[in-house]
Amino acid sequence: MTFVVPVGPQHPMLKEPEFFRFEVKGEEIVGVDIRLGYAHRGIEEALSRRSYKHNVYLCERICGICNVVHSTTYCQTVEQLAGVEPPERAKYIRAILMELERIHSHLLWLGVAAHQIGFNTLFMLAWRDREYVMDLRELISGGRVHSAMNTIGGVRRDVRSEHVPTMLRGLDKLEQSARYYTDLWGSDRTILARCTNVGVLSKDDAIKFCAVGPLARASDVKVDIRKDDPYGAYGALSFNVITEQEGDVWAKGMVRLREILESIKIVRQALKELPSGPVRTPVELKIPPNETVERTEAPRGELIYYIRSNGTDTPERVRVRTPTYGNFASMKSMFAGGTVAEIPIVMWSIDPCFGCNDRITLVDSHTGKARVVSFDELRRWKK
Amino acid sequence: MDSKEVSELIKEYAGDVRIVNNRCLFATSDKQRFRALLRALRVAGVTHISTITGIDVGNVVEVIYHFDCWPTMLNLKIPLPKDDLKIPTITDVFPGAVLYERDLMEMLGVKVEGHPDPRRLFLPDDWPEGVYPLRKEFRGAPK
Repeated sequence: MTFVVPVGPQHPMLKEPEFFRFEVKGEEIVGVDIRLGYAHRGIEEALSRRSYKHNVYLCERICGICNVVHSTTYCQTVEQLAGVEPPERAKYIRAILMELERIHSHLLWLGVAAHQIGFNTLFMLAWRDREYVMDLRELISGGRVHSAMNTIGGVRRDVRSEHVPTMLRGLDKLEQSARYYTDLWGSDRTILARCTNVGVLSKDDAIKFCAVGPLARASDVKVDIRKDDPYGAYGALSFNVITEQEGDVWAKGMVRLREILESIKIVRQALKELPSGPVRTPVELKIPPNETVERTEAPRGELIYYIRSNGTDTPERVRVRTPTYGNFASMKSMFAGGTVAEIPIVMWSIDPCFGCNDRITLVDSHTGKARVVSFDELRRWKK
Repeated sequence: MDSKEVSELIKEYAGDVRIVNNRCLFATSDKQRFRALLRALRVAGVTHISTITGIDVGNVVEVIYHFDCWPTMLNLKIPLPKDDLKIPTITDVFPGAVLYERDLMEMLGVKVEGHPDPRRLFLPDDWPEGVYPLRKEFRGAPK
C-alpha cells in the first residue's frame, strides 16, 4: 500500500508556495503530482491590457531573480516587431547585465542547495560572495535586484568608463570564489555523499520531456540558446557551453558552477570590447499587425516570448514560457525510485521558481487515497 | 535545420509559410494534416516543443505550436473555429507538451482530445466551468 506525503503549499522545504503530492511506498517514492498556480497573477492577460512601454516594467516583475532576462526578451521581441535595431553598445550592456544575473542566480542556487543538504557553512559563504555581484549590478544600474535598465530600443543608463576598473576588480574576486566552490563541489565528502546518483535525469528523458537549461545540460544535452540562436551581443562573445554526463544533482550543480566562470569571462570580454556610441534608438510604439517570437537563455534555461501586435500601442497577445514551467514535465522521472529524504535537494536541483493559493489534500487513512478539497468546500465543512 | 529546410520538410502539410529569418518561421496547417506533420517532424529528428500558445481572434482560436528544430523555431498555427474547439493531443509524439496542453484547455477552452491527464493546472479547483481567462469576453474573475 502506498502513502501520500503532501509537500506544500506552505512547507519549510519550499522557498515559494507550490503543492507537490508524493506517493511513497515505505521510503521509496513511486509517484509525484504537482499543482501549479499558487502564484498565478494573470500576467499574460495583464500584458495585453497595457501599453508596450508599461509592459517593460510588468515583465521585469514576472521573476525577481531573472528580471533582466525577462525585460530583455520582451524588449527584443517588441524591437523585432517594430523593425528597430538597438545600438551595439546597448546590446553589450544587456549582455553584461544578463551575465551578472546568471552569476548571482547560480550563487543563490548554490547557497540554498547547500542549505538543503544541511551544509549551512557553504550556504553562508555562497551568499556572502553573491553580494559582490549584487554590488556590481548596483554600480552600473542603480539597483541590486531590479535594475530597470531596459527600455524598448536600448537601455536607459550607460556604463561609465570609471566603473570599469571596479567591475574588473569585483569579477576577480568572484572568479576566485567561483573556482573555490567548483573545486569544493568536486571534492567535498558531504556534497559527494548527498548529491551523486541522486535525482538522476537520463539523457533520453531530458530530451523526451523537453528539459531546458542547466537541467538538460547536466544530462549531456548540449543546448544553450546563446549559442544555438545567438541574440543581442552573444554572436560576438566567446564562451563554452558547459555540459556534464551524469544527470544527477551533483552534475546539475557542477554545470551551474562552471557556468559562473564562463559568465565572468563573457562580462570581461564585453567590458573590454564595449563599442562606443548611443545606448538607445527611438521607437514609434504604434506597431502594425505582426507577430514574432524571441527566445533567450535565462539562468534556468530557454525563455520564450511570443507577441502579436494589432496596430495600436497595446499588444494583442503576449505569451511567456518561463524555463521552470518547461522543466516540470521532467520531474517525475527524477523523483521516481528515490527516497523521501532526497526530496528537498532533488526539488532544488531544478532551481524551481514559482509562486501560490488555497487548497488542502485529505488523505483517507483506510484507503490511502488522497482527495483535494476546495476552499469553499472546506468552509462549508460541518464541525 | 535552417528555415528553408524546415519549410521544405513541412510544405506538404502546411501552407502560408512566412520565413522571418534564418532561424524562425511561421506556417499554418489544419486538423486534417496535423498528425501527419507531427510524424514528419519526429522522423526528421525534432524532439523539442518549446510551448503552445492560444490566441482568441474573434470567431476562431488560433493554437500555435512552437517547435525547436535545432536551431530553427517553427511556429505552427492551427486555427480552430469556436463552434468546434477540439484538437487531438500531441503528447503521444511529444510527451513534453503535457503541461502546455492542460494550460491551453483551461485558459482558452480548447478541448485537447486524448490527453492523458486533462485536469486543471493553474486555475483553482473551484473555478467555474466554462469561464476561460484568456478569451476576449473575459472580464475579471467571477465573484
